[in-house]
Amino acid sequence: MKKRIGYFICHCGINIAGTVDVKRVSEDLASYPGIIHSEDYVYMCSDPGQSRMIEAIKEKKLDKVVIACCSPTLHETTFRNAARTAGINSFQCEIANVREQCSWVHKDKVKATEKAIKISKSVIERARFNESLEPISIPVTRRALVIGGGISGIQSALDLANSGYEVVLVERSPSIGGHMIQLSETFPTLDCSQCIMTPKMVEVSKHPKIKLLTYSEVQDISGYVGNFKVKILKKPTFVDPDKCTLCDECTTVCPVAVPNEFDLGLTRRRAIYIPFPQAIPATYTLDINHCPGLVPIACGKCADVCEPKAIDYDMKPEILEEEVGSIIVSTGFDLYGKDEMAEYGYGTYEDVLDGLQFERLCSASGPTMGKILRPSDHKEPKEVVFIQCVGSRDPEQHCAYCSKICCMYTAKHAMLYKHHVHDGQAYVFYIDIRSGGKGYEEFVQRAVEEDGVVYLRGKVSKIFEENGKIRVWGVDTLSGKDIEIKADMVVLAMAIRPSKGADELAKKLKIAMDKDGFLSEAHPKLRPVESVTSGMFLAGAAQAPKDIPEAVAQASGAAVKAVNILSQEKLYHAPTVAAVNSTLCTGCGMCVDVCPYEAVSLAEGKANVNEVLCEGCGTCMATCLRAAASVKNVTPQQVHNMIIASLEG
Amino acid sequence: MAYFDNIKPKKGNIHIVKDRCKGCGFCVEYCPNNVLELSEEFNIKGYHPPYIKHEEDCIYCQLCETICPEFSIYVTLKEEEEEIEKSKS
Ligand SMILES: Cc1cc2nc3c(=O)[nH]c(=O)nc-3n(C[C@H](O)[C@H](O)[C@H](O)COP(=O)(O)OP(=O)(O)OC[C@H]3O[C@@H](n4cnc5c(N)ncnc54)[C@H](O)[C@@H]3O)c2cc1C
Ligand code: SF4
Ligand code: SF4
Ligand code: SF4
Ligand code: SF4
Repeated sequence: MKKRIGYFICHCGINIAGTVDVKRVSEDLASYPGIIHSEDYVYMCSDPGQSRMIEAIKEKKLDKVVIACCSPTLHETTFRNAARTAGINSFQCEIANVREQCSWVHKDKVKATEKAIKISKSVIERARFNESLEPISIPVTRRALVIGGGISGIQSALDLANSGYEVVLVERSPSIGGHMIQLSETFPTLDCSQCIMTPKMVEVSKHPKIKLLTYSEVQDISGYVGNFKVKILKKPTFVDPDKCTLCDECTTVCPVAVPNEFDLGLTRRRAIYIPFPQAIPATYTLDINHCPGLVPIACGKCADVCEPKAIDYDMKPEILEEEVGSIIVSTGFDLYGKDEMAEYGYGTYEDVLDGLQFERLCSASGPTMGKILRPSDHKEPKEVVFIQCVGSRDPEQHCAYCSKICCMYTAKHAMLYKHHVHDGQAYVFYIDIRSGGKGYEEFVQRAVEEDGVVYLRGKVSKIFEENGKIRVWGVDTLSGKDIEIKADMVVLAMAIRPSKGADELAKKLKIAMDKDGFLSEAHPKLRPVESVTSGMFLAGAAQAPKDIPEAVAQASGAAVKAVNILSQEKLYHAPTVAAVNSTLCTGCGMCVDVCPYEAVSLAEGKANVNEVLCEGCGTCMATCLRAAASVKNVTPQQVHNMIIASLEG
Repeated sequence: MAYFDNIKPKKGNIHIVKDRCKGCGFCVEYCPNNVLELSEEFNIKGYHPPYIKHEEDCIYCQLCETICPEFSIYVTLKEEEEEIEKSKS
């Protein structure tokens, strides 16, 4: 049957018409073989523009249309939907990009016009042999996986579960809670962090729709949006949580003492331990790295005293397989450690602390029961220096970015210090104060005005210990004076880094990272919670440094995005995928090796494409020596014709 | 109230009954913290009994005590002994 093709070129105001003579193009194309209708219009994407196209299709019985306009990433869907409304298959509508690939990048109107004609003809040649296709439908597994059980992961899991979907929440440490459970009070309202966090943790543990896997890590992942298969490694805790009565007998006999991670080394814990009293799940964990051995003849004291016989030295690691439809990654952050930042005596001087250690000192459940005391001599520090931007905003040596939350938590620390030590003095060294946020600027002002915190604008050049004091040398750039403070304690606002192992996880999930190792969003403005891989979303400090309100907001956003997928009966996948002509295929397997999506496999000596995995990239088609592989609507014949059209013009 | 390091590693007090030892070296081999080593000296049976090389590293796991076939090494908890000493004086 003879093809009846319609051609439309958009002015896009002057975006296209400014450089391309659109009238000439439409006149020229009117006489091109197969073109029944050709016109130009000022805004094709507008309602009247679409109506003109729909009317032309109906009136002139067009069976294909080509729209010369902006990039297909923008309006392909608009015009394909309009084509379907007019009664033709949406894959009979093709876009010729004459804006990004022509008018925007050229100045010479004559040449740009000629190029627009060539681009258009080439796309018409493609459209000429387009097949009518229907999207491929795929089923959806209506459960979600959340990786990381800090406040972000907890919020996402609760939002999903409360929307009626099952959630698997994977946390690698023995308890959920993340960093927020370590904090004392939170800016800008100074409410107790544990008091607002623990109700959410308890809700997670009691929620019938949430399957909580702590001490677990994602090992492997396969599948695609709507249908992921996840392998999770559950490490043995050697304590049966159902039997453990939290009597704490085991820790009284365990001879081992190692630095307590929860208090960041300010206290010690036993080899068998509960991370903190409100831990979820509420149970003990035997730390295999520090227990002298799982040969019960070595030690074995804990099992001897454990009355409910909860301790089982034979517990083995388990691999669990879960099927989910979408994934939220909320693996959070870590602080710069002493390996990265030894300059200010961190790790050398006992009374130089990082921000999280100071949080523990202020915390009522911390190593000092909420008294601010120096670790070295347990005395109350009377002069404390807080240093901001330690490792941040330093492109030469450390991280180029701003860690965002340190201005605020340092103001909080200085304030809390003054609330505990009324006759003490707090100094803050800063580069600038960034207090954008509701109530944040007022909070910093309160620190200065009500609590008399002295802010010094400048960097610290040196810190050293002398006669039991920590000498801090710096400059105040506002007065131009050198400053020396003989401090009793120094607190460093260390740079926020992506959590350890986030890079390996990103590789497993095939999601991108930015130059600093934080997980990349799909679009910095319009798709801030989506990863570049479809079906996977980001929440919290894993994506960029964030405070609690922002982390919670993003977590709820990510949950809604996941619901977008889980609430569908079926998902649809573009049908422009590869197909293999089995008569031509010799089973050489080259396509199997080159496919970046692992969509091709060999079955009975012939290549076979999994249409759901195939993204239609065409690598197999370009590789196949027998021309057996070809992508629908971009067949070798179509590509050949397109090249001829663009060369002959 | 003990602040900060209120949890201390436990320490063992190692007792070696040299003359029972048959120099098999199990305790030396299996001690997770390499506290022990066989000595040069001879015991009554003509074997080399172990001696305590790094006393501070003993964590009172009592592995040596359990593994010794001759009941010639045993470990008591240091704190307790200290307390007993204290209560005597
Ligand atoms: C000193 C300090 C003070 C602060 N004070 C405040 C304040 O007053 N107010 C405020 O709003 N914000 C404050 N913040 C910021 C706040 O801590 C963060 O916004 C919040 O913790 C971010 O939560 P999250 O869940 O994204 O990350 P995290 O709290 O880091 O949680 C991430 C979780 O994921 C787990 N995880 C990591 N990798 C994996 C993996 N591969 N597999 C499984 N699990 C994994 C971790 O174990 C952890 O439980 C402060 C931060 C610091 C450092
Ligand atoms: S067996 Fe391990 S965990 Fe148990 S008491 Fe001994 S050292 Fe501690
Ligand atoms: S002794 Fe047993 S029941 Fe008690 S806290 Fe330890 S593991 Fe749990
Ligand atoms: S009690 Fe344990 S650590 Fe001490 S000597 Fe014996 S085996 Fe070694
Ligand atoms: S295990 Fe007993 S017998 Fe063997 S060397 Fe040690 S103390 Fe001697």
